[in-house]
Amino acid sequence: MHHFSRLKRQNPAPSSAIAAFIVSLVVSLPHTSSAAPEANVPTPQQAAESANIYQSIVRIEAATQTPNFSEPWKAGGFSGGTGTGFLIGPNLFLTNAHVVSNAQRLLITIHGSPQKHPAKILHIAHDCDLALLQVDDFSYFEGLKHLAIGDVPKLESQVRVIGYPVGGNRISVTRGVVSRIDFSTYSHSLLDQHLSVQIDAAINPGNSGGPVLQDGKVVGVAFQGLRSADNTGYMIPPPVINRFLTDIKDGTYDKYVDIGMNEFPMFNPAMRKKFGLAPNAPGVLVARIIPESPCDGVLEINDIITAINGNTVDAAGKILIDGEKISMNEIVERKFSGDSIELSLIRGGQAMDKTCTLKPFPHAKIHTVQYETKPRYTTFAGLVFQPLSRNLYAAQKFQNTRVRKLYANYVRDALFKEREDLVILTRILNDPVNTYIGDFTGSVIESINGEKISSLQQAHELLHPEETPDFFVIRCEGNQRPIVIPGDKAATASARTEARYGISAPYYLEK
Amino acid sequence: MKSALLSIPFCTLALIATSLTSCTESQDSQTTSTSPTTSTQSPISSVIRINSTSQNWSPSQPWNKQASSSRSALGAVLSDQRILTTAAMVTNATYIELENADSTHSIPAKVTAIDYEANLAILEADEATSDNATDFFKDLQAMEISKPLAIGDTLDIIQLEDSGMPLVTSSVIRTVDIISSFSAGHYFLTYQSKASMQSASNSYSLPAIHQGKLTGLLTSYDKSDQILDITAPEIISAFLKDAEDGQYEGFPSLGVAIHFTVDPGFREWLKIPDELGGLYVSKIAKGSAAENAGIEEGDVITKIGKYDIGRRGYYTDDNYGKLYWSHLIRGNQENNSALDLTILRDGKEHVINTTLTRPIEKLVPANTYEQAPRYLVKGGFIFQELTYSYLRAFGTDWESKAPLDLVDIIASQEDYQEGRNKIVLLTATIPTPATTGYESLRNYIITSVNGETIADIPSLINAFKTPDQDGLHTISIKDGTPETIYLDATTSDTVDQELLKRGIPALSHQ
Repeated sequence: MHHFSRLKRQNPAPSSAIAAFIVSLVVSLPHTSSAAPEANVPTPQQAAESANIYQSIVRIEAATQTPNFSEPWKAGGFSGGTGTGFLIGPNLFLTNAHVVSNAQRLLITIHGSPQKHPAKILHIAHDCDLALLQVDDFSYFEGLKHLAIGDVPKLESQVRVIGYPVGGNRISVTRGVVSRIDFSTYSHSLLDQHLSVQIDAAINPGNSGGPVLQDGKVVGVAFQGLRSADNTGYMIPPPVINRFLTDIKDGTYDKYVDIGMNEFPMFNPAMRKKFGLAPNAPGVLVARIIPESPCDGVLEINDIITAINGNTVDAAGKILIDGEKISMNEIVERKFSGDSIELSLIRGGQAMDKTCTLKPFPHAKIHTVQYETKPRYTTFAGLVFQPLSRNLYAAQKFQNTRVRKLYANYVRDALFKEREDLVILTRILNDPVNTYIGDFTGSVIESINGEKISSLQQAHELLHPEETPDFFVIRCEGNQRPIVIPGDKAATASARTEARYGISAPYYLEK
Repeated sequence: MKSALLSIPFCTLALIATSLTSCTESQDSQTTSTSPTTSTQSPISSVIRINSTSQNWSPSQPWNKQASSSRSALGAVLSDQRILTTAAMVTNATYIELENADSTHSIPAKVTAIDYEANLAILEADEATSDNATDFFKDLQAMEISKPLAIGDTLDIIQLEDSGMPLVTSSVIRTVDIISSFSAGHYFLTYQSKASMQSASNSYSLPAIHQGKLTGLLTSYDKSDQILDITAPEIISAFLKDAEDGQYEGFPSLGVAIHFTVDPGFREWLKIPDELGGLYVSKIAKGSAAENAGIEEGDVITKIGKYDIGRRGYYTDDNYGKLYWSHLIRGNQENNSALDLTILRDGKEHVINTTLTRPIEKLVPANTYEQAPRYLVKGGFIFQELTYSYLRAFGTDWESKAPLDLVDIIASQEDYQEGRNKIVLLTATIPTPATTGYESLRNYIITSVNGETIADIPSLINAFKTPDQDGLHTISIKDGTPETIYLDATTSDTVDQELLKRGIPALSHQ
């Protein structure tokens, strides 16, 4: 498992859920340009062009407030960082989502200018780590060059990375070659995988959101590094950038859509024999179908996908695009909700064609890091309840096997059908009514007064009914001993713990 | 074949609890060699050295044993040429040797009774390899087991110098408690005393003597706080009594999981009167004494035999004062003995007659000591049964490191019981022509092979005898991606022969 680190310069952050993910790169030495061949010394004309481009590459300063998932009633910690962005159209600055996530205030600075221009987020796409910003007053930027988006650069071709990384305040330029083009995890959401391009230019904290240029065009947005290796930087390539820019054309960002299945390579000779595949015949096995995903009901387990939108799928599930073998998912990646995918497949020895209409799949959200999200919670007699999310998982480090298993299998086993939320007892604020139930912390709530719990809202309503029951009996998964709070003591205990522990609001339920 | 692909983290198994880590460096021996309590005989004539070599099986390559390790201890000589020591000392032993104090005689020995839960074992001379047992025992004097002692009584812990000279540490019993010394989760009556002990040549587990009689065995010594744990004489007596007929059964259990009833809100809900204590029964093991007697989840046990049980599970013992309730089941009672429990159900008292029994074997056995792991190698796939040894090989924090689906089985074994005696896993895949494309598969639960439900390794071996008409084996995996994998019967048979040539001694063990 690689450990990616995003390349935003981070101010020392107070302990918070999200800060835990961000690991600043150790500042490595700048790429030495002295070794560059003579021919690469820019001519005066090229130098003037470069200076022109530099003006369009801006420094972004973000003052952030990160929600507190440990003690959700508290105001989040204040922090900040810097990154890079660049002008791609009239009052449109492209950068990484992680540079501006949770931002309360954004300031943009032009290369060589002391003036800071307030800006705001126009669109933000956490699943592909891109954002578009606009400044309040664009007049200072009129006439600056708008950088154009190019194509995916070829392997071994040279690129320039420009930005405002650590090591100084002025613009920095490094060079490298394209080392690899592959699918990899985008660490901003920790779940989404998209095409990304690896380059060997030195990319450092602060480079995030900056352009990677080739022949004067943008061929990528620098966004993450690899903690375990030197000189490996990753950039978001044009197909992902263009998809983002197309998606927002209707005024909202609708997110990526996924086909919702796992494939398994058809390498094994016995398996090929079982499915009657000739030695060099194409096709990959459908090994798992995510319930309620777009392909649920269209594909079946043990189908063999031989082509996707006319592209032949090989035994490893790869297709040839622009001369590169990449995952067949790349076809889906470039599509939008409502688009259709044509699949050729073999089912039970019969060749057939199927059409799969793409649609959003909101349930996977539990596994992605959420930003700009106020944590939901409710409290009762000193007990704090929160719905399970990636952010909460990071904040609490759950040991309970049952919680870990429910979380891991939430999508696979379609638990979302019955449980919109997995409600967790995350914290017990000591009070006379709850002194002896400390070891229940970190459990999933199964039922309250006999009713199965399927959402935080429902749990909240059962814990705050109009008519107080004799006892509140709360059962946790995997623990047969219930938590019992006498009804006549609950209200006073709630009031007492709220006052004593400074809980400014006893609940927040809005999604 | 790359052995690196069998990359389960290795670590020593099972014998973690072989405490007495080091009794070193305490040279300020204020309590050492001072005044042994008056004894009728020299302790030296009733203790002998035990040297044992043990080997555990490799969790990832179950046909291999791991490197051997040696340990030594002192055993107590009992009547009929029996030696008492701890189970930890002789578990998985490949060779045991008895040696007298001055090292003039030694004979091979064998285990004739062992209790991994109570951490006790009886050794006798191994007649098969030794005919001079009489000679060995002629100068040795058998010890009796002492009566239960009391807090404040003095114990002498015996060690031997290399020279054969005794080294006696006296210490006073400070507390009596229920402690687990070897097998996790099994708690037995234990004396705790405090003394500074020094390292001597044999310091693994040691006899503790009171007035010439054996009181217990030292099972652990904590160097930092100088606390000694000593098995109580009642436990030793019960162990010896059980072993008398040559058929050792073990200590009984009730088979309940309990919670305290300290929480006032919980007590109010359970309708427990203030004057009663009680233990809330939260879970009942299948086939246990509790289930057979009709105890139900939600019952509150208020009395065991004649003893009232407090809110935290303590009763007042006639000899020791406050003791934890489990001693009334596990230390005081024999197998199949009857015991009356008083319970509170819906606020009403009931007396329930129980017959205490041994716990029934679970899908994942509590321990697999002395047993070679059962496995099958087929075409490069390695199949094994899930055991605690296998899980512990993921490291001391295996509960977070081991695959989640396997850890979860431990807590919900009932869910897997149907059609199974054991959980059969695909533990690893050796890259071979038969397993091409499947190299990454490991730690999956096998549900069926060639259409036959898999209950254990023998049924797996049997199921592999009948490939389908196309010469393919079909293997179904629980929650696998993919759900079904295939092996070519001919290719895998060829691979199996190749693996034998490459040094796997046998393709299966059942």
